[in-house]
Amino acid sequence: MTFTAPVLNYAQLAPMLIVLGGALIGVLIEAFGPRASRHASQLFITVASLVAAFAALVRVRNQSSVDAAMGSVGFDGAGVLLQGTILIIALLSVFLIADQENFTALAAAVPGSSEERESLQLDLRVTEVYPLTLFAVAGMLLFPVSTDLITLFVALEMLSLPLYLMAGLSRRRRLMSQESALKYFLLGAFSSAFLLFGVAYLYGYSNSVTFAGIQASITGGSGNDVFLLLGIAFISVGLLFKVGAVPFHAWSPDVYQGAPTAITGFMAAATKVAAFGAILRIFYVAFANAEWQWKPALVLIAIVTMVFGSVVAITQRDVKRMLAYSSIAHAGFLLAGVIALSKSGLDASIFYLFAYGIATVGAFGVVTLVRDSAGEVTDLNRWSGLGKRSPLVASVFAFFLLAFAGIPLTSGFIGKFSIFSAAYETGSTAILIAGVLSSAIAAFFYIRVIVLMFFKDPVEDGTSVVIPSALTTTTIAVTSLITLILGIFPAPLINFIESSAFFIR
Amino acid sequence: MNPYNYLYVSALLFTIGAVGVVVRRNAIVVFMCVELMLNAANLTLVTFSRINGTLDGQVVAFFTMVVAACEVVVGLAIIVTIYRSRRSASVDDASLLKR
Amino acid sequence: MNALTSMMLLPLLGSLLVAVIPSDQTLRIKQAALGTTLLVAISGVMAWFKFDSANTSFQFVQIAQWIPSFGINYAVGVDGLALVLILMSVLLAPVVVLAGWNESEGGRWSAKVFYILILVLETMMIGVFAATDVFLFYVFFEAMLIPVYFLIGGYGSGERAAAAVKFLLYSLFGGLLMLASIIGLYVISGTHGGHTFDIGQLSELHKFMSPTTQNLLFLGFFIAFAIKAPVWPLHTWLPDAAAAATPGTSVLLLGVLDKVGTFGMIRFCLTLFPDASKTFTPVILVFAVISILYGAFLAIGARDIKRLIAYTSISHFGFITMGIFAMTTQGHSGATLYMFNHGFSTAALFLVAGWMISRRGSSTIADFGGLQRVTPVMAWSFFIAGMSSLALPGLSSFVSEFLVLVGTYTRYPVAAVIATFGIVLAALYILIPVQKALHGPTTPGNENLPDLNLREKIAIAPVIAVIVALGFYPAPLLNVINPASAHVLEVQGFTDPVPSESAGK
Repeated sequence: MTFTAPVLNYAQLAPMLIVLGGALIGVLIEAFGPRASRHASQLFITVASLVAAFAALVRVRNQSSVDAAMGSVGFDGAGVLLQGTILIIALLSVFLIADQENFTALAAAVPGSSEERESLQLDLRVTEVYPLTLFAVAGMLLFPVSTDLITLFVALEMLSLPLYLMAGLSRRRRLMSQESALKYFLLGAFSSAFLLFGVAYLYGYSNSVTFAGIQASITGGSGNDVFLLLGIAFISVGLLFKVGAVPFHAWSPDVYQGAPTAITGFMAAATKVAAFGAILRIFYVAFANAEWQWKPALVLIAIVTMVFGSVVAITQRDVKRMLAYSSIAHAGFLLAGVIALSKSGLDASIFYLFAYGIATVGAFGVVTLVRDSAGEVTDLNRWSGLGKRSPLVASVFAFFLLAFAGIPLTSGFIGKFSIFSAAYETGSTAILIAGVLSSAIAAFFYIRVIVLMFFKDPVEDGTSVVIPSALTTTTIAVTSLITLILGIFPAPLINFIESSAFFIR
Repeated sequence: MNPYNYLYVSALLFTIGAVGVVVRRNAIVVFMCVELMLNAANLTLVTFSRINGTLDGQVVAFFTMVVAACEVVVGLAIIVTIYRSRRSASVDDASLLKR
Repeated sequence: MNALTSMMLLPLLGSLLVAVIPSDQTLRIKQAALGTTLLVAISGVMAWFKFDSANTSFQFVQIAQWIPSFGINYAVGVDGLALVLILMSVLLAPVVVLAGWNESEGGRWSAKVFYILILVLETMMIGVFAATDVFLFYVFFEAMLIPVYFLIGGYGSGERAAAAVKFLLYSLFGGLLMLASIIGLYVISGTHGGHTFDIGQLSELHKFMSPTTQNLLFLGFFIAFAIKAPVWPLHTWLPDAAAAATPGTSVLLLGVLDKVGTFGMIRFCLTLFPDASKTFTPVILVFAVISILYGAFLAIGARDIKRLIAYTSISHFGFITMGIFAMTTQGHSGATLYMFNHGFSTAALFLVAGWMISRRGSSTIADFGGLQRVTPVMAWSFFIAGMSSLALPGLSSFVSEFLVLVGTYTRYPVAAVIATFGIVLAALYILIPVQKALHGPTTPGNENLPDLNLREKIAIAPVIAVIVALGFYPAPLLNVINPASAHVLEVQGFTDPVPSESAGK
């Protein structure tokens, strides 16, 4: 028997490999590097590997339609765009993460123990958050380009496992943070089991684990439809969990609230891009011809998600929980792009993911700035009068909220317009109506926060807006600038997406 | 023996696991139920591998085992940390976050 | 450079100028704002003289690609209708700045922010009337809510935050309905010759729509405009907003912003959906007549002088809506002229009322008395404005109200007859406060009120001049309006009814 060496196409895999390499170096630094320079070197390695990965991605962007790693990874225009989005979001989030104030010095120490105090006093910080971030980024890069079920599952775990740990790293309110990590982990593992069960049934249906093979079986129509239906259902549960669609959203408010804010921003933005990337690929490529099997259910889920997220957000008293429910509503809007199942739906989804991801990182960046002596202040009541304390920060946050609400001259409006028109174009009138209605409801709570910040008088309780570090300033400035530019001159990005977004089938 | 019977068994195991996750309160037991679900999926994969006559399913099963091992590492780390902080591994005790 | 584009850029540049002046130099800021608005007004008047009224197509046209993938253009141009409204807006802006010289004091933020908001708003006011691309119109339509929101909430009095929120939520809700309709239009245009937002091309589209589709799309637009206008029963935000806002903001709100609603009915509802407009005409006329009477009754019962003016406006907007949906050239010309006149008479009422309130420190009508003797100039100004508001012959509103009633009578005599009662009621709601506040004995508290100073006289003089001049000689305006009105109706196949005498013979 002869053994043929697998063709890997390293050039196409380079972005992921660079990030993984950076992560491994990070682990080594954590183990052997001198403690004093650890933070600086970790930050350098992380930023450098993200930038290098982006450069590698730019270099190979036109060598698309290539299967890398023996057909496990599909390298195409949509994949490049999604990977680029993830890398940009990751880079901006790392700048927020670099503000070490937010992270526990020693995650292994029991909260309130002498061990913890000691490490804080001596400033003996462990910086495992950087390699964890890189591992998660590598998983996210792999998730939307995986073209077989094994890679899909492995990528899902690769991005999830570091995130579970990162959710527990908060320096303040550590019990809450650990609790959120536990919830995220248990529910995440639960949903991966569903995904895996779906993988098994799809394999049973099509006798193949590649998307192409599944598509061929669906087109051929030879397999057992019960297996197909079960497979699609279980895989959808696993994927919808990751994006926080109703009824698989239960984890997201708790995790958003408990996790360190910089991590929440990263998780909310980048995970959503990666997971929707995977959802788009699997539904557009593998399940496209079984539209009748999943479309009605997905339409229902999308509508319920939009409406539920918007309605429940109204009652929230915590800014991070409010943003969590808002992100649930946005997941519903994004599902409209999946349901559209058309080229314009794909373009709109990618634009929306980029715009939403950037604005989310920026919004959470602003949240990290509002603090008192005990850490971040996320209680909305204590945000009142923020416009008086710090007009600039409050205006920037208001601007992000307007972008989430989809007011013209922000990126959110263009995104909303394109995704709803794509959905309506393929006949989903119900989605359009539900989307418009829930946007109206959503506008209510975004405006409530703006009222709170600008039209209420500040309460004197020690809440203040800290002077942001240079890196945090960069992130907030860049994200708000991108949000504004995409609202006024979106044409270059839209054209770019339109010309390059396609899936290899 | 009809290989389809294994599908029924694995579906049953999966259901037991899923119900366990929902009703049990101890984090470790919940986690074990998740493992049960993963193994049920593995059994399904192997069964389909047999029915279809290809090896892909068994390959996936191997991957699953590795991934499940990683999950155990991370999961137990989180559960142990919580346990050390609270002296309890009950999911109900972890209720600082608003419902 | 294109006349309209430069008119839109001027205030924007002015706002930048204001932004760079240090905020403690309040006088400089005010001078810069006044200078800018005067420049814009001059360029508006120049555009008026360059306009060729015999030509019924759009003039001063400029088209530039904005988002080519969606067929969205930056497209501006004016016909007689839009030109009249732009002229009104740019003339009112310097009046508002001059009249409300001290309005920005007592606000939450500095004078600088106030004038930046006013100038940005002016850009959008011009843009919303000048846009010939539906998408561009929508962007201005929605974006202009934000400066108004902050103007009411930041610089108003009383329950300003609540009023601002109510205003914004009503408007956003209407705007989102309109967005749904715009998406509908966009999608339909895509199936008939390619995606476009050009108003000319879209006006052909109704031939391809089923009646149901056309009705639904019409409603999306109409409800948005009816909220804006406001037509009963969607008016409830207006009295609160007008009562809370500063007089200058109220002038812009009622005088200009609300005209966008009635302007939109002509430009979009009638032009894009002629059949649906016919279908809904009876219902809309009923609402319009109810608005006329309901607004008048509320005005009679009003105790607060600002609310009184807001209620009279509801009544007047009823007349305008009725004139529009009478679908006769006279009705249309009357409605358009009415929009212009209402802008000026409301401006006069609000500004003088604002001065009265700031002098007396109360906005309750009962607190005033005998102002005629104490402050003759102020009292006469209010009197003339009031007479114009009740459409006294010889003052501007008479001509327009007469045209609307005649135009309506030829097709819908019943509506016109009932609406005539509105005139009787108008006499009551204007004369009662005039008698209470201006004539009769000077009541305690009013003896020492100062009369108008020079600045205020300069501000009110042009407004009164326009009211009187147009009352005697409306021809210059009508010469521009008539061809445009005839054109709008002709394009979509509305004809004037044959006079009944000849039909009877």
